Amino acid sequence: MKRDVNFILNGRPVTLSVEPRTTLLRALREYGVTSVKRGCEEGECGTCTLVIDDLAQKSCMVLALEVEGRSVLTVEGLVAPNGDLHPLQQAFIEEGAIQCGFCTPGMIMTAYAFLRKNPDPTESEVREALAGNLCRCTGYIPIFRAVIKAAKTMRELGAHPGAAR
Amino acid sequence: MKQTVTRNGVGAWTTRKYDHEKAVGTLAFTDDLRFGPELLHARAFRSTKAHAEILSIDVSEAMKVKGVVKVVVGENFVHRFGLYLHDRTPLAIGKVRYVGEPVALVVAETEEAAEEGMLKVTAKYRDLPTVFDPIKAATDNSVLVHPELETYEHVPFITPFPGTNIANWFRIRRGDVEKAFAESEYVIEEAVNCPQIAHGFLEPHCCICKEELSTGNLTIWSTAQSAFALREIVATGLGYPLSKIRVIAPPIGGGFGGKAGMTVEALCLAGAMDPDIKGRPVKLYIPREEVMLTSWVRQAYIAKIKLGIDADGKITAIKNNFYFDTGISAEYGANPVRSAGYSSTGCYYIPNVWTDSYAVYTNKPFGGAYRGFGLPELMGAMEVVIDIAARKIGMDPIEFRLKNMLRTGLPTCTGMPMNAHSLDTIVEKIVDRVKLKEKEPATRKGWVRGKGFALALKAPAMPADASSSALVKILGDGGVEVLAATMDMGQGAYTAYAQIASEELGIPIEKIRCYYPDTQSHPYDWQTVASRSCWSMGMAVKRAATDARDKLLALYSEYWETPPESITIEHGVVKCKAKGKAEQLDVRVQNGFPMPSGSFVGGPIIGSGTFVPPDVVNPDPETGQSPKSVVHFTVGAVGIDVEVDPATGAVEVNKVSAGYDIGKAVSPMNVRGQIEGGTVQGISAGLMEAMYYDEHGKLLTPDFTDYKIATSVDVPGEVDAFWEETPEELSPYGNRGVAEHSMISPAPAINNALFDALGIRIHTYPTGRERVYKAIQEKKRGETDIWEYPYALEQSYKNAVKEWK
Repeated sequence: MKRDVNFILNGRPVTLSVEPRTTLLRALREYGVTSVKRGCEEGECGTCTLVIDDLAQKSCMVLALEVEGRSVLTVEGLVAPNGDLHPLQQAFIEEGAIQCGFCTPGMIMTAYAFLRKNPDPTESEVREALAGNLCRCTGYIPIFRAVIKAAKTMRELGAHPGAAR
Repeated sequence: MKQTVTRNGVGAWTTRKYDHEKAVGTLAFTDDLRFGPELLHARAFRSTKAHAEILSIDVSEAMKVKGVVKVVVGENFVHRFGLYLHDRTPLAIGKVRYVGEPVALVVAETEEAAEEGMLKVTAKYRDLPTVFDPIKAATDNSVLVHPELETYEHVPFITPFPGTNIANWFRIRRGDVEKAFAESEYVIEEAVNCPQIAHGFLEPHCCICKEELSTGNLTIWSTAQSAFALREIVATGLGYPLSKIRVIAPPIGGGFGGKAGMTVEALCLAGAMDPDIKGRPVKLYIPREEVMLTSWVRQAYIAKIKLGIDADGKITAIKNNFYFDTGISAEYGANPVRSAGYSSTGCYYIPNVWTDSYAVYTNKPFGGAYRGFGLPELMGAMEVVIDIAARKIGMDPIEFRLKNMLRTGLPTCTGMPMNAHSLDTIVEKIVDRVKLKEKEPATRKGWVRGKGFALALKAPAMPADASSSALVKILGDGGVEVLAATMDMGQGAYTAYAQIASEELGIPIEKIRCYYPDTQSHPYDWQTVASRSCWSMGMAVKRAATDARDKLLALYSEYWETPPESITIEHGVVKCKAKGKAEQLDVRVQNGFPMPSGSFVGGPIIGSGTFVPPDVVNPDPETGQSPKSVVHFTVGAVGIDVEVDPATGAVEVNKVSAGYDIGKAVSPMNVRGQIEGGTVQGISAGLMEAMYYDEHGKLLTPDFTDYKIATSVDVPGEVDAFWEETPEELSPYGNRGVAEHSMISPAPAINNALFDALGIRIHTYPTGRERVYKAIQEKKRGETDIWEYPYALEQSYKNAVKEWK
């Protein structure tokens, strides 16, 4: 039997009608938010990572009903209303941190939640923070470069774009 | 005089096409496409037996599940498919050959119903004897995986042996190896083995097929590297004309060979073409834990290499015995066997050569294309054996390699002269950067440190007639569309093509767009494999762009009444200095240019380009010799610095330096990406990756929990990626392939470094913590070598090496 779940998705209130067993990953994909990817649906790969109330979560490991009243942010939600990219998105592009792009949304969301807690990380802290998100193409090296670069940009901006959401 | 000027042409560091869409999450992969409520979902019911006759399949309970529409079994869809050898049916017919083989396909209204239905299907089997050991399978015919081998169609350049388990036997015969061994100062014989490994792309296979009810035409949306090869394999298997099949290949989330040729599409077609289903689209999404069971992985191998060396340290003879465990299908796997075979002297010149390279059927999931395509297997063994040989004859391993190096002009094992390269420069740089000739103390307390080195080489492994074609259209606003049916699966092909088009047209790269393959709109390309695209399709794109430019210049020449040579295109502006003209490209390049008479000339500008390697001849089936067996070889080397914890066997990589002679970096951002990414993938393969089975052939490592791949914390402290540019003669810009090469030699370099650190030789991959720990314990017992062959009753390395014929 389907039930309604109400939450904030990328700054906008939504109501989805879901089976109790439906994961947040499948519910969002069904709704049309497909940046959360199905890489394993077992919590191993991180391609479905999004941010729930400031905490990076694998959406295949969360039931849709669990986000009642909470705020869910996906990589689409990092884009400013005027279309400007978030410094993380920009840095991923500039540093060649994207190849096939399948891990990218989840990787960016993990990095986003991490930088909110640690705005000035060392490379070794970045490595630790990203350990739950697999990437098979880049060897992670440009991703480290991108996260460090984005952190610097964000510190210089002095604000946290996307934070309002 | 160069008539075009652009900022982001060939060789420029520029950001990549489609990265914006990927960063904001809007790029639609196959699983992201929506087909509405008409869409049906399929799920495979799989064999629990490694080899068994199917007595019965009961689908009655499955059909009772709400939403299940149909359950298709093998007898409903009798078609044999394959790229090089037609040995594969999408569903088992009559018998199963491995645990995990699809036996029935449940088609339902929802994914959940399909899964529930799958759980309700049952089958009865009668067990048949199994064979898992490729050596046994190759040398003892008591169990035949494919007794019907004789009836399978195959391409002329592979040689299956009906009545055996040998799906392909590739040979090199040159000179007299036995005589050379007899005359050698040293004869060294060693063996190395490696289990199957998996691609580990993050996007599982996904496919949607639809048969149009009235015409019978098929549309296939799939996670395919090679839209055209897929179309051809499906057409051949079904006996359909090409025109009845349309393949649309949306962006794919990593391939590494695992989505080349045809993978899961025929299984999906078994549902979509069913009489009770056709007309409705059917989606087959392969769950992660079924990916390794549904499509190919990298073949396991056992390589035995015997070297004859003279008193000066020159290798005079080599005898190679390669057994590739190809599982139950060699439809694609027959060719890496060939690729290893025709490169089987590695980076060395060796006058006398005897190579037997076999693809061997066993009752396991099947092997096929994987980044490196036979060469990580070959070099994984050869670069270890070379290291052993050098140490045994008392030479420095790097000096030994330099002494025997396959220098420009010397014949490869197939007899073709080696192309130009600067491998010695690369070796020199790596020796310097990793301080390979210095012994350094470990940086971690109580650990030991070692350094290792390995050479790499690879040619695009493809049939002699693998062709490419491209179209370049100039739009009415000066934008450009490039239609080149390469799959950009992350390697950056579309960025490279845009750079080529920008270079040749003088149009800024921002105005150039490449589109993902659709056989209905794109001109033909063989496959996106073999590190061939930037070279082969690069030729076609360059020719198409040049053709479009010439047409544009001819039009302006007529319009401005000036010779075409006096016209330039600079950043999208067409100029003629002599006439004082400068005009933005506009709608006239689409609609025609107004002439004084009031009439128009021109019309849309479409450039076309085609390419096929002009001089490649498939190797002779008896001797493996050919005047030109492959288009070119890209060479390189890896140096690595590792530390080992003797208490636990843990291995950490301090630094890796990897360099390749790529001729020319068309798109440097992507070249760096390929070298960095492949190096980490190669280290991951060497240190942690293996597919393990229980004694009944059940895969124990189907997902990322049990099949470990490198995470961010496994990346070496320092990765130094570089390249040299010795131009290739026949090439768009002198460039050679580079995408696969970085994966080839990290594993043997680590192996050699571990020997340097520990003083015991590990002959079995992966060389991870557990095996390294065992090696340390064996060393304490006085052993010099450790090897673990999963099927050998006799665990003695020395005896096993002698036994293999």
